[in-house]
Amino acid sequence: MRKLVLLTVLIVSMALAATAFGQTAAKGVKKADVQKKAAQAVMITPIVTLESFEVPQYDGWWYFAAKVEPTKGDKGDRGAPLPMSFLFTVKNPNKYPIALEGAKFTVAFDREFEVITYNNNDVMWIPAGKTNHFRATTMITARSALLSLLVTGGYKLKEKGWDAFGALERWWKGVPDYTVPVTVKEGAFTFTGKGMTKVIPFDATVK
Amino acid sequence: MRKRALFSLLVPFLAVILIAGLCPVAGAADIKIGGIMDTTGATSDVGKDYALGMDEAFKWINEQGGVNGKKIKYTWFDYGYRIPEAITKYKLLKRLGSIVIMGWGTGDTEALSPTVNKDKLPYVSASYSAHLTNPAKTPYNLFFSSDYSTNARAALTAWFDKKWPGKSGFKENRKPRFAAVYMFASPYCSAPIKAIKDQATMLGFEIGPDQDVSLFALDTKSQVMALKEFKPDVCWHGNTTMSVSATLRDAYGLGLGADWIVNNWGYDENLPRLAGEAAEGVMGATPIAFYGQNYKNMDIVVAAAKKYNPGVPQEKRLIRTPQAWGDALVTWEALKRADKAGDLTGDGIMKKGFETLSLFDIGLGASPITFTATDHRPTTGCLIQEWKGGKFQEVERVDLKQRWPEKWAKEWLGW
Repeated sequence: MRKLVLLTVLIVSMALAATAFGQTAAKGVKKADVQKKAAQAVMITPIVTLESFEVPQYDGWWYFAAKVEPTKGDKGDRGAPLPMSFLFTVKNPNKYPIALEGAKFTVAFDREFEVITYNNNDVMWIPAGKTNHFRATTMITARSALLSLLVTGGYKLKEKGWDAFGALERWWKGVPDYTVPVTVKEGAFTFTGKGMTKVIPFDATVK
Repeated sequence: MRKRALFSLLVPFLAVILIAGLCPVAGAADIKIGGIMDTTGATSDVGKDYALGMDEAFKWINEQGGVNGKKIKYTWFDYGYRIPEAITKYKLLKRLGSIVIMGWGTGDTEALSPTVNKDKLPYVSASYSAHLTNPAKTPYNLFFSSDYSTNARAALTAWFDKKWPGKSGFKENRKPRFAAVYMFASPYCSAPIKAIKDQATMLGFEIGPDQDVSLFALDTKSQVMALKEFKPDVCWHGNTTMSVSATLRDAYGLGLGADWIVNNWGYDENLPRLAGEAAEGVMGATPIAFYGQNYKNMDIVVAAAKKYNPGVPQEKRLIRTPQAWGDALVTWEALKRADKAGDLTGDGIMKKGFETLSLFDIGLGASPITFTATDHRPTTGCLIQEWKGGKFQEVERVDLKQRWPEKWAKEWLGW
């Protein structure tokens, strides 16, 4: 019986302790709010730069319509893939670590033909005062780009006097050897640090 | 002895209950939601804006405390508007533990429907095909918007109510003439054709031959010339913005003289930019308000867009952003209700979440949303707007259930 009484006291104490922890946590949240407000005033904007661009695996330029019988596998409208890899430098000028929580940007060829919007929500920490690298790799095919061009870029092509396949061939041959301008536009890099969130817009053109 | 044994079991049990109940961090876990979006393919001009809007909506929802304190982890991928890729991404998202998936096009949504329903995984898409609204066939497919058939019926009815009485044909006491223009092979474009022709017949229209206009079309003169032979009073365009604008321009240039009503994916802020003068007076189905239009909650949508995508110019944002919010907000409410009922299984999200929504108001100019166990048509009507004098203006909010309750209840579900 004595054991039971002791056990009951123990349970009640644990419950009270949990409640107290909860209240402290709640206070902690309020405290975090205060810290957040304080941090907002001192958080220095991280610096994002596009360091390099490459086509990591080049498969040339080709397109097969669905009427062409393949040597193996299923037939279909297929176009050459064009993977692109962008290396960003992310510098944290703050005296505390920050996390890159998301990166989003649109890739355009010849500055105005948007070919993909990239999104990544992997979290990467950058120590105080340090610089880190973030690599984003995208993938498009000549087939997906063709459909995008035909449905959404028709007027732009017409204005320039280009035909869709002509533009695709020029891009698929010119992007890997850096003769076609590749633009990273409408970028948004989301950083958090000390309870604060900051979204940095980003634009750059590969030279 | 038995009493003592009972106590020895009861005490640890009580301890666990007490600690779990009093500790505020207990039970908190992320809710995983997946997204299959088009940011590279044939619909990327509108798909990108929708994808950005969806991402912004879930970020804002997390700022509001997520689902009853549980944070939403939203992971989305581009699928390039390709059905095989959509299936691959669906499998990945399921493997990652998504309990709801936000989808996109009609082709892939309908292709995935049997899998989604077998997996009991709620799939909230941007395809508003009426084929997805009968829960006897597609119990796990959902969207917030009026379906395409409701859009089409509402648009034709609004024209009949508001425009036809002002036409010379009305005074001559003849039947109004109607024709449909769309890409025959596209699941999205062809989805509401049966319904709009049914509506036209019901309202006493004479129906002319359909015209096949590709989604890629920049020249539609031959189709417009064919229409001229029929002399329609009003034409339905069921395509997306670029080919709709091309048709409007050709119709204007060739003096067709008909009014136009357009489905929602062909009717956005880019239409007057691309069609110019030819867009004047064009009416369209707007299941939600245009970006920035003065409706409840639009300030939240605009603020989130500026906050989370500051690099995207405001003038580039489209009605597709509020559309994404519509699907996100209705999903949020369903998840909150299912979570409160302690059941975040697919079945629970449907029965204790979505199917408990009755005339739920998300603002943003959308019609009130209701789902029941036997009817997944989210709304009973649609707001029809018109491009006039340099801005979009309300023409009429048509409520089909109110106007034709018998047909709504017994005839029109699922097509």
